[in-house]
Amino acid sequence: MEQGQPIRAFWYDGVTARRHVGTVRWHGDDLREDLRDELRLHSDDGETMIVPLADLVFVERGVLDGSYSRKADDGFRLVFTDPVPEALAARLPRGARFGKWIDGLGLPRAAALFAAVSAALVALVLTAPSWLGPRIPPAWERRIGEAMVGDLQDVSCRTPASDAALAKLVRQLDPDSPPTRVSIANIDMVNAVALPGGQVLVFDGLIQESSDPDELAGVIGHEIGHVRERHVMQALLRQFGLSILLGGVNSDVGNTLFGLTAMSYSREAEREADVFSRAQMARSDISPASTADFFADLARQGEGGPGWASWIASHPMPQEREDAFRKAVVPGRAYRPSLSRAEYEAIRDACAKDPDVEPFDIF
Amino acid sequence: MDGLGGHGGPDATDAESSAFGFHGTWREYLPIALTNLLLIVVTLGIYRFWAKARERRYLWSRTRFIDERLEWTGTGMELFVGGVLVIVLFVVPYFVMTQVAQAMMMRGQTALGAALFVIPLLAIFYLMGVARFRAIRYRLGRTNWRGIRGGSDDAGFRYGWSYMWKTAAGYAAFGLGVPWAMVSLWNQRWRAMSFGPMRFTCSADFSALMKRYLLFYFSPFLAILGLVGFVFAAAFGLQADGQFDPENPPIGVMAAIGVAFVLFYLVLGFVWLAYYAKFFRVVVGEMELGDLSFEFDAKTWDWIRLGLGDVALLVLTLGLGFVFLGYRHWRFFIAHMQAFGEIDVDGLIQSTTRRARHGEGLLDAFDMGAI
Repeated sequence: MEQGQPIRAFWYDGVTARRHVGTVRWHGDDLREDLRDELRLHSDDGETMIVPLADLVFVERGVLDGSYSRKADDGFRLVFTDPVPEALAARLPRGARFGKWIDGLGLPRAAALFAAVSAALVALVLTAPSWLGPRIPPAWERRIGEAMVGDLQDVSCRTPASDAALAKLVRQLDPDSPPTRVSIANIDMVNAVALPGGQVLVFDGLIQESSDPDELAGVIGHEIGHVRERHVMQALLRQFGLSILLGGVNSDVGNTLFGLTAMSYSREAEREADVFSRAQMARSDISPASTADFFADLARQGEGGPGWASWIASHPMPQEREDAFRKAVVPGRAYRPSLSRAEYEAIRDACAKDPDVEPFDIF
Repeated sequence: MDGLGGHGGPDATDAESSAFGFHGTWREYLPIALTNLLLIVVTLGIYRFWAKARERRYLWSRTRFIDERLEWTGTGMELFVGGVLVIVLFVVPYFVMTQVAQAMMMRGQTALGAALFVIPLLAIFYLMGVARFRAIRYRLGRTNWRGIRGGSDDAGFRYGWSYMWKTAAGYAAFGLGVPWAMVSLWNQRWRAMSFGPMRFTCSADFSALMKRYLLFYFSPFLAILGLVGFVFAAAFGLQADGQFDPENPPIGVMAAIGVAFVLFYLVLGFVWLAYYAKFFRVVVGEMELGDLSFEFDAKTWDWIRLGLGDVALLVLTLGLGFVFLGYRHWRFFIAHMQAFGEIDVDGLIQSTTRRARHGEGLLDAFDMGAI
């Protein structure tokens, strides 16, 4: 078809809903440059409209040869009903199929590229806790922890005597400075948790269930181990990363303290915390025998009461742990009790004797 | 004067004689659905904005109104910007506020903490209304027919307040005001919409809905009575001939209770659909645009079939069939839409409403349907 020949088409001008039927002319080889870059639309009822080629946008329609709108997205629509000459077709814009980037690369390459980037991102988020966690300065973690859970002094059980006894116990287990803050929570559950910011909560239920201070030392040493080995920060990062990966909107990062206690550590982390606990106990001549007894109790009673369930769930394999603590007992070594009887009793009585302890009803 | 008649109606059995027609095919849509699925997966979901735009471009282009196809002019980038705006303006502040609220409560500042907890919830409530309004506005603004689009001059912020108090009032009357709230809000949001120079009108009345709503309202009690009887009969082996053999029940008690629960929720869902089908027929039936009036003719059974089909599709494809849900729903919607009356195409001039440059991000975030 010769250039300048009329091509049948219909169009809407975006001003009214009237359909204009007529012809499109394009003077692609005209001497006047401006004429080469525009389409002249002549409707059968005598109206003329001029549309610059550069203004056109391809609209995917699939039914006819394709229709074109204007960049201004003003409702203008041009549909060719005759075949479009090749010279003009070459000047007309092409349609976007998947989006600009993907069309540029081609679907297979774009999909592969996106998949690679996504996989790298997932790998980064999944591995970040283990390498990033220990590198976050403890001072930052302390600040994060304080922002999240605050200072727990208000809700914890404390008397001057229990404070002193607990401080003595912590001194033997946590040589680093600043020492981990350990407090007693007025909760009747057999559990202990390490919170962000280096705070350890020992539940009163666990204290009442214990039979001597060395047993407490084993458990508290374990939780301090989580703090010192930076497991808390790692678990936080893991939860945060997962919540981003799983859609972002549903970000319940430690939404409640309950969520924090439900933070699980890997078995590896549990073993590390136990190793830390045994090392600190050995350093301070505290016998691991009582802690082994404690795990034996757990293993036995684990099947029963719900009070034990939480500890079992978050700290698996009591049998294996009992064995490890049992083996750590050095025969013939002169162990000292970690606290005197009076000091231990002070800890046991902390919740009963604290005059202004608040009920811990978050659980 | 160039007039176009809208046709169709209850006795128009031939699909072509209806004012609305959908002539897409699943075979034609399949390549779009599969490439969308692939790209959504490899981009960890980010492509879904562009996927939605592609889906709509196809669905709209296969939808005929009287004698011309619809055209979707929205873009994926717009929807993406809408999604990002929601995260920046809403999700992040919400997250920060709940964290602060929790920290406050941990420090014993319960009242302040609780307030910080409640405020975001109220904000969500408010924004759900705004989102629904703005989604309709967005869709009308991106829908062209013969080069003309729709929209609204209202930004929907006032509608958000109406949504809050009407919904609350509807539930406050022991839930009996829900049909009133739904119908009244429908009227309110559609009256604010326009296509070209013409405003939509809608003056639906909720009283026609009350019979079915009360059926839904009381069905749990009726269902529980019926089910208790069923469980007893099934569990204790009450046979059809009246023989009773406690030693040899046809099915166990637990199985009977299990079946009963499934039936309970299924039946309750069906009764709700019976109400919802009527709701949709009533509100669409009262809508007018210029000389056009509309009708939606899906019966309860049509909705149930749509729902069961959706479930079957998702189960059989292990969830991947979700890329076909939009197609199914649009086809259902168009197949049951009717319009009557005349359109003056010369008088149908371009809409003067302003269009937002971002998509329906809020609605997307709350995962609601627009219509």
